[in-house]
Amino acid sequence: MSILSISNLVKTFPRDKEADLIAVENFSLEAERGEFVCILGPSGCGKTTVLRIIAGLENLTSGEIKVDGLGVTEPGPDRGMVFQEFALFPWRTVRRNIEFGLEVKGMPPEKRREVSQTYIDLVGLKGFEDSHPYELSGGMKQRVGIARALANEPAILLMDEPFGALDAQTRNQMQNELLRIWQETKKTVVFITHSVDEAVFLADRIIVMTARPGSVKDIYNIDLPRPRNRAHPKFIEMRKAILEELEVERST
Amino acid sequence: MLESIRDFFSGRNKRLGRLSFSDVIIAIIGLIAFVVVWHLSAMILDTTYLPFPAEVADAFFRSFAVKDPISGVTMWDNLESSLNRFLVGFVLAVIIAVPIGLALGWSRVAENATKPIIEIFRPIPPLAWAPFFFIVFGAFLGPVLVIFLGVVFPILSNVIFGVKSVEPSLIDAAKTLGAKQSTLFLKVILPYTVPYLMAGITIGLGIGWMCIVAAEMIGAEGGGVGLFIQNMNAIGRYPEMFAGMAVVALLGIITVGGAGYIERKLSNWMGVSRK
Repeated sequence: MSILSISNLVKTFPRDKEADLIAVENFSLEAERGEFVCILGPSGCGKTTVLRIIAGLENLTSGEIKVDGLGVTEPGPDRGMVFQEFALFPWRTVRRNIEFGLEVKGMPPEKRREVSQTYIDLVGLKGFEDSHPYELSGGMKQRVGIARALANEPAILLMDEPFGALDAQTRNQMQNELLRIWQETKKTVVFITHSVDEAVFLADRIIVMTARPGSVKDIYNIDLPRPRNRAHPKFIEMRKAILEELEVERST
Repeated sequence: MLESIRDFFSGRNKRLGRLSFSDVIIAIIGLIAFVVVWHLSAMILDTTYLPFPAEVADAFFRSFAVKDPISGVTMWDNLESSLNRFLVGFVLAVIIAVPIGLALGWSRVAENATKPIIEIFRPIPPLAWAPFFFIVFGAFLGPVLVIFLGVVFPILSNVIFGVKSVEPSLIDAAKTLGAKQSTLFLKVILPYTVPYLMAGITIGLGIGWMCIVAAEMIGAEGGGVGLFIQNMNAIGRYPEMFAGMAVVALLGIITVGGAGYIERKLSNWMGVSRK
């Protein structure tokens, strides 16, 4: 059974004196346990809306979302989320940011410290436990974001353009880091991006969305061996094919 | 503390840059020019109503050592009375404004319900309430409540503003980490609001000092800096009257500067510098 199952998801936003805005229409997706799925689409296609609905941060209009067989209605610790703008608590240190979810759960302090240290080590933040977010670079901030989401041990990791705010070099570095973390933790990842290159580099499967109202336009299985080489002819070919498809989507 | 006084003179908007030596020199020249102009004015006007700076300085130090002829207390006693009133009114304002501000910032219904009431009362100068407060609550609580009114509104509006400024992504993040309403409030909204509260307190302190002197002049009993100013005016001791004003100015600088200092330290410590 798939860990994440979305069927016929529809999301509309009410508008004043106009027909409702249809943001997402009949979006369906199945993700297997441990799979890395990228959702790719032009800006405004509703990909972030889809992710927020999976997270439980927004209600769906119709359709169904199941995580591990259970319907989703509100945010829950089975789904961790990583935000583009990091969304770290500025008054908390790295460690205390990562422990936030554990505190909410009521985990005792010694146990909390143990768990947070595991994830601090995992994301490579050893030595920065007591730093505040403002002292960290963008890449390090997002490491905290990833560790904070993982510390809750979610079944699915939802990532909303997590590297969108980073410079190109840091971005590539973080992509490699994410793959390492993914392989170590064997999490299911749903990753939103508008970068074709990023999607081809990361994903097992790419869901290409149509322009608004967003629905599934095409699905690509990326069976390139890992670690992937951006200069490999098959990588370039794959990227070109998807880029062309997106180009058509933008011009219509 | 020295740093905060320096910041006070340099203006808060310049706090990012270090104060240079020439900035300090210019500030000192300005102060000297002020004293010179004052001295010359006193010479030209040649009236007992405007004493010379030196006379005021003399009266200032004397007032702390010598009991004044009307109330029979020293400036220390006056200070104590004023500070007592100030502290009670101020603490009362914080205790009441913080929870109400949090609630109004959080709940649109609560805000809509109370907004008209707040907007009716806000424009009324705290001092306009003084006669009523004195009659109903007496000579101690009367001035205390005037200070309370002066301090409560800036704190209230800052806390409301702080709650409304909480970044939505932080609330989203907390929710996805399992936080429910009460946790959200205690672990996200409340800490986020602290620097805003401190800014409100700094503004409130400044207004509070204006209120206390005025309120005491209307009808305090048993001492107070405002009362001292009033009494010295009544018996024509103008250097003492100005000395009383100087005491108020000094206290204002110390408390407002101190609060501003704490505000910045706290913001830095919490990693949230307000722009």
